[in-house]
Amino acid sequence: MPKVTINGKSIDVEAGTSVIKAAQLLNIPIAHYCWHEGLSVAGACRMCLVEVEKNPKLQIACNLPVTDGMVVHTENEKVKDAVKWSLDFHLINHPLDCPICDQAGECKLQDYYMNYGLYNPEMAERKQKKNKAVSLGDRVVLDQERCILCSRCVRFTNEVTKTYELGIFNRGDRSVLSTFENRPLNNNYSVNTVDICPVGALTSKDFRFKQRVWFLKDFESVCNGCSTGCNVKVSYNNNGVFRLRPKVNKEVNGFWMCDEGRDVYKFVNKEYRLDQVVENKVKGKPMALALQEIGQKIKGQNLAVVVTGQYTVEEYDAFFELFAGKLKNVKFYHWMGNEENFESFDGILLRGDKNPNTQGLLKSMKKHGIKAGNWKDFESAVVKKEMQMTVVAAPENQKAYPEMKSRMKTFENAGEVIWLSSCSSEDFNNFKWQIPMKSYLEKTGTFVNFKGIEQKIKANVKIIPDAVDLVQLSAALGESIGVMR
Amino acid sequence: MEKKLLTEHYDKSDYVTLKGYQKQGGYEALKKAFKMKPEDIVNEVKNSGLRGRGGAGFSTGMKWSFLPKNNEPRFLLCNADEGEPGTFKDRLMMERAPHQLIEGMIISSFAIQSKKSYIYIRGEYMNSYKIVEKALREAYDAGLLGKNIMGSGFDHDMDVYRGAGAYIVGEETALISSLEGKKGQPKLKPPFPAVQGYLRKPTIVNNVETLAAVTWIITHGAAEYKKIGTEKSAGTKVFSVSGNINKPGVYEVPLGYPFKDFLQNECGGMKPGYGFKALIPGGSSCPVLTAEEAMKSTLDYESMSQLGSMLGSGGVIIIDDKQCMVDILNVLMNFYHHESCGQCTPCREGTGWLNKITSSMVGGRAKMGDVALLDKIARHMLGTTICALSDAAAMPVMSFVTKFKDEFEFFAREKKSKVRGDVVYAESHH
Repeated sequence: MPKVTINGKSIDVEAGTSVIKAAQLLNIPIAHYCWHEGLSVAGACRMCLVEVEKNPKLQIACNLPVTDGMVVHTENEKVKDAVKWSLDFHLINHPLDCPICDQAGECKLQDYYMNYGLYNPEMAERKQKKNKAVSLGDRVVLDQERCILCSRCVRFTNEVTKTYELGIFNRGDRSVLSTFENRPLNNNYSVNTVDICPVGALTSKDFRFKQRVWFLKDFESVCNGCSTGCNVKVSYNNNGVFRLRPKVNKEVNGFWMCDEGRDVYKFVNKEYRLDQVVENKVKGKPMALALQEIGQKIKGQNLAVVVTGQYTVEEYDAFFELFAGKLKNVKFYHWMGNEENFESFDGILLRGDKNPNTQGLLKSMKKHGIKAGNWKDFESAVVKKEMQMTVVAAPENQKAYPEMKSRMKTFENAGEVIWLSSCSSEDFNNFKWQIPMKSYLEKTGTFVNFKGIEQKIKANVKIIPDAVDLVQLSAALGESIGVMR
Repeated sequence: MEKKLLTEHYDKSDYVTLKGYQKQGGYEALKKAFKMKPEDIVNEVKNSGLRGRGGAGFSTGMKWSFLPKNNEPRFLLCNADEGEPGTFKDRLMMERAPHQLIEGMIISSFAIQSKKSYIYIRGEYMNSYKIVEKALREAYDAGLLGKNIMGSGFDHDMDVYRGAGAYIVGEETALISSLEGKKGQPKLKPPFPAVQGYLRKPTIVNNVETLAAVTWIITHGAAEYKKIGTEKSAGTKVFSVSGNINKPGVYEVPLGYPFKDFLQNECGGMKPGYGFKALIPGGSSCPVLTAEEAMKSTLDYESMSQLGSMLGSGGVIIIDDKQCMVDILNVLMNFYHHESCGQCTPCREGTGWLNKITSSMVGGRAKMGDVALLDKIARHMLGTTICALSDAAAMPVMSFVTKFKDEFEFFAREKKSKVRGDVVYAESHH
């Protein structure tokens, strides 16, 4: 393994490792725009210039493989001057519209200007004029003047999605990023280009102008949009959740997430949520009272329990401990959701199993000795009127269950329905009870992805104060029934 | 004194045809080459001291020997994308002696065991293209290309490819990108073309003049070639000369030839009424030399490098005393600004910035600090990019503003040219 010394710190790295990567391992920051670990090397921005001893010319760290005994400097005057000038070249034609730019606050031009710049600009000529607010597709907007032509987004569409929508057209300082004719940027991973854009050139139609990023805080979670379980960063403040971005996890999602997954936060915010208990279309019964009443009622009844893969392992365990362990005359049904395309996979990240925890559900059912029926079984049980009451642990993300609406009729004939759900919909008004559940960002627990990788999520926001999770619900019901303390 | 190794028969009108070429001993070198071992040809070229004539002046034999020693398919590309301002020698070579190039390419391909080669011709060179294409047909018809050439058992195919009009494609990796059907932009090195080039296969890119010289070297031997020129600059070089001289044109002289004699004898001296002010020795990217420096120089790689310039592609531009250096630099900057591919930031933005300043200066809008700023920008563009276009733009700037500082400062201060006063006869581009 070659040994490299950067700014006096040494490290052994695998042969072929680039200097920029080795520096990253040593926690030595090297400025860069075009380099991205998940993409090929472009070597175009010339920000990562470093000095290698015995080499008179500065080298770019992104395309320089480490050789044994290499000694690299990233902070001497020669390097700093070169980086300052590379930055200045980026800025001479860049518009000074930070006050109205959505990227402000998380812009690499701003960051590096603070680190390497802080000069009085010498550029006194007219700036290049290009197009502003160019719509590239359903989700992404481009400002060609802000674009620094690092080509990250182009490489993303060429190498990751292989959809080839983007290109850099024209030459020299007239170069512009654009889409090819009749090929809008509408692939299901398009917003990743916004994430990897180091400046404010590409912005998300969904997020732009909603919040200044310095008013947002981030926490980490796991996407509940499908069984891949992409790791995400959730940006939120007191007004709710505003965006989801991928967090790097090479075992699960690499550097990316799909656009569908980015919409999942919408089901978490207040306006989509069931905020109080609804009993016969009437809102307002306190949760504790409602659960007590329900507990009293279900005792001794013939019950159907319909579960989806949208809850945590811990919730399933508590739920099944009550319904399978303590109650009799209970039949279980597994509502998989998106059954028609359940096994599909887009080749990148998105899976047809739209539940974050199908594997966790199956594991928990096995542990509790439950043999659940499928949707067909449930339908025939409804026809035979086998149940007097039905408890449904309904999905959080209704969009993931395209068959949702068509199945309401079946539920309406399934006796007295206790509908556990985080979201509200007029479709649910015919159910006897609707109980507001916590969203995945409001609870702590474990999701098991399609590969069997267990991932923890943590409660980080409180959006519906009254909402409960299945653990709390099971405890309250158990107490009311008198089978648990 | 002119020494015509390659251009000896250029004045014969039938030299362009296969018959006329063969009348002067054409394709005899190929016969000879087929009797040699490929590695002996490589060694012969290495021993001849032939250096790449496209501009960089790198040893040709050495370049060939960087190819991996295995059976991987490989390509020979002829760089005929002659776009350097001031350079027009390849054009003459293709138009007068296409078979000399083709023969050189077959020999070179045999030496490196390449079964396919391309001649990448600058898009604007329509006439050269037609002539070379016609010569290729003749060569195919005569069995000099295709399967089992001259019964040697060596198969080789050759094609011509026309560029689409970008200067940058003269850079070898950009030429490869363009030939691959991509946007003509230089590629990041490493990997170098000899290891991974056209279609990711080992590739050698050589200039027209280089490949033509291979023919002569095989005919007469490396030792004969080495006798001509200087120790480090063997052989002859074909120069294209422009400017207000009596006989502008293309001349082949031995390397090491004093520029003073070249100007006086071959070029016929300055036109009456024009004084010699400055020299761009090897195409517009080379740092300018003052008349005094130029008169001391000899036309070879070492002398030019000692004077801080380059022999480049041999595009000699003679600047006379009626020319304003600010105007000339503005024309050059307009060119590099137009031709930067836009990939690397310092070049994309720097060439534009330089051009805007020179253009402001010529338009009488310059500020005093701009002269120093030009130099500063250029210095920070130097050596920071994937290819040499950034350097090619920066080097003239640095040399112009240093060596002709008075003209630049006069322009910035007085808002008019020191040389031509208010008279505008050099069109300023924007």
